[in-house]
Amino acid sequence: MNPKRKQRLIIVLFIVFGCATAIGLVLVALNENINLFYSPTQIAAGEAPVDARIRAGGMVVEGSVKRNSKTLQVDFQITDFAEKVTMSYVGILPDLFAEGQGIVALGRLNADGVFVADEVLAKHDENYMPPEVAEALEKSGKTKDSMSPAPAY
Amino acid sequence: MWSFFHKLGSPRWFYDIGGKWLPWFALAAGILLVTGAVWGLLYAPADYLQGNSYRIIFVHVPAAFLAQSIFMMMAVSGAVGLIWKMKLADMFLKAVAPVGASFTFLALFTGAVWGKPTWGTWWVWDARLTSMLILLFLYFGVMALQAAIEDANVAAKACAVLALVGLVNIPIIKYSVDWWNTLHQPASLKLTEKPTMHPDMLIPLLIMIVGFYCFFAAISIMRTRNEILEREKRTAWVKALVQTGGRNA
Amino acid sequence: MTVIKKSGPDAGMIATLIAVLKRDLTIAYRRKQDLANPLVFFIIAVSLFPLGVSPDKSFLQEAGAGVVWVAALLATLLSLDGLFKSDFDDGSLEQYVLCPQPLFLVVLGKVIAHWLVTGLPLLLLSPVLGVMMFLSGEQIKVLFVTLLLGTPVLSLLGAIGAALTVGLRSGGVLISLLILPLYIPVLIFGTGTVNAAVSGVSTLGFLSILGAMLALALALSPIATAAALRISMSN
Repeated sequence: MNPKRKQRLIIVLFIVFGCATAIGLVLVALNENINLFYSPTQIAAGEAPVDARIRAGGMVVEGSVKRNSKTLQVDFQITDFAEKVTMSYVGILPDLFAEGQGIVALGRLNADGVFVADEVLAKHDENYMPPEVAEALEKSGKTKDSMSPAPAY
Repeated sequence: MWSFFHKLGSPRWFYDIGGKWLPWFALAAGILLVTGAVWGLLYAPADYLQGNSYRIIFVHVPAAFLAQSIFMMMAVSGAVGLIWKMKLADMFLKAVAPVGASFTFLALFTGAVWGKPTWGTWWVWDARLTSMLILLFLYFGVMALQAAIEDANVAAKACAVLALVGLVNIPIIKYSVDWWNTLHQPASLKLTEKPTMHPDMLIPLLIMIVGFYCFFAAISIMRTRNEILEREKRTAWVKALVQTGGRNA
Repeated sequence: MTVIKKSGPDAGMIATLIAVLKRDLTIAYRRKQDLANPLVFFIIAVSLFPLGVSPDKSFLQEAGAGVVWVAALLATLLSLDGLFKSDFDDGSLEQYVLCPQPLFLVVLGKVIAHWLVTGLPLLLLSPVLGVMMFLSGEQIKVLFVTLLLGTPVLSLLGAIGAALTVGLRSGGVLISLLILPLYIPVLIFGTGTVNAAVSGVSTLGFLSILGAMLALALALSPIATAAALRISMSN
């Protein structure tokens, strides 16, 4: 092999090695939680740090929303259909906030295991359908999730 | 196949053929956009959850699609320009950058308008939104670099390198909703899976998407033809064209 | 084995790298003022925040890592304009492009030299600034590690912008416009690591993303920089 080609080969190998390292490291990262996002199961299992600003999300549990009649305080529970976490929030909730609806909240977990949210955002899923269809699906006993893979909560 | 490729390299050939295609694309874009908009905004059913506010999808999704595909087209034509020194690819790159920036802005703007009633906020710094913002900045970078370099050939090549470097952002945009738990919902339209959208809403959306692409095709042909005239103004065929009053000789 | 290697072409490659490195370091050493400017900027920019926003200890603790990162990023950006400028002005850049040694190596050598004279001093200064921002010992340690992984990426990516704008009069501002979008992910993960450490979350994921960026930038950005230099020189 002439020196020029060998030089090129070494550079190409260097580039391939760099890319491979990058891919390996990304795979390591994907196994870690780099979101600071916790599901109710993770919070219940004590994986979430206490009193650090994190994100948590899940479905609002039916019948769990308690509004304070004098202030804007709202207490509710969220679930990922395995565990439940109680959240408390003071402020105006987004229009789409409803029981059975997915939300993402930013806030801190206090020592009692209650998530004190300072921001509540309604997350909607990728399903779109007319109300009649949604109703019909519900009546037939299917959830709207049967149309698609479950949302990633 | 190869003769087509070589012909494509000739700005004059593209000027002629583009002139023939242009009215058809414009017509198709007009029909599709009007049909899609009327169908989507007036006749498609309201969403069971979001009510009428979901209708912004008919602008938001096509704009976001185009924002990303235009950048990919820029990178591809940049690569073609660098490797085969094809002038037409350079001209295309220059012509579509502002169009891409406009669609990116449109996607971000409609997203913000949509976000307020659904999420409860105009803007969140989640991965999808941030990576789209970076895309907008990358378009600005390409445009600024193009404007700063006087020599057209050098400018085109420099922009091609920048577009290729910026390409790393595209998969990040695409997969951000899957990799990170973003507030932005995952894609409703996927190539491999059934769309998670009711057909009554899906069809007008698809019409709008095709309409937007036709619109982009028309705009980009127009802008590329302009660019050809500008760059080739000293050649005999452009001079002859001007003398015949712009009609194809 | 060693004898063959020394006379072989890969020994030549390392020699090229070292020669470029030595030359750039010598030049940098002779222009001490240019060396000090980004550092002074770094310190002043960081100290603007307590004065301009709030000297409140808890605020500074929360924002400190981000402030140091942004200031480091801007200081690197300021120094980039000079990366190829003097070589372009005196014609040595043209010689680099024409010489038989791969431009990839020359670029890599120049970027490493750039990092040694700007990124490394910023890195070494960062603990002092961290103390100024009331960061805890743990935060300062993590900040140092993120800057260690991040500042070389800043130099590598910045070189692309510097190469694209080398012959232009309005180079300085344009570099920022071209390169800042590419810096955003580095900044996000750099400060994200420190915030994760504060929250008591494992930083391994963040650090491996930063490492991946470094590996990718090390492998690919010299290609883009070399291509950009050839384009700029053909002007």
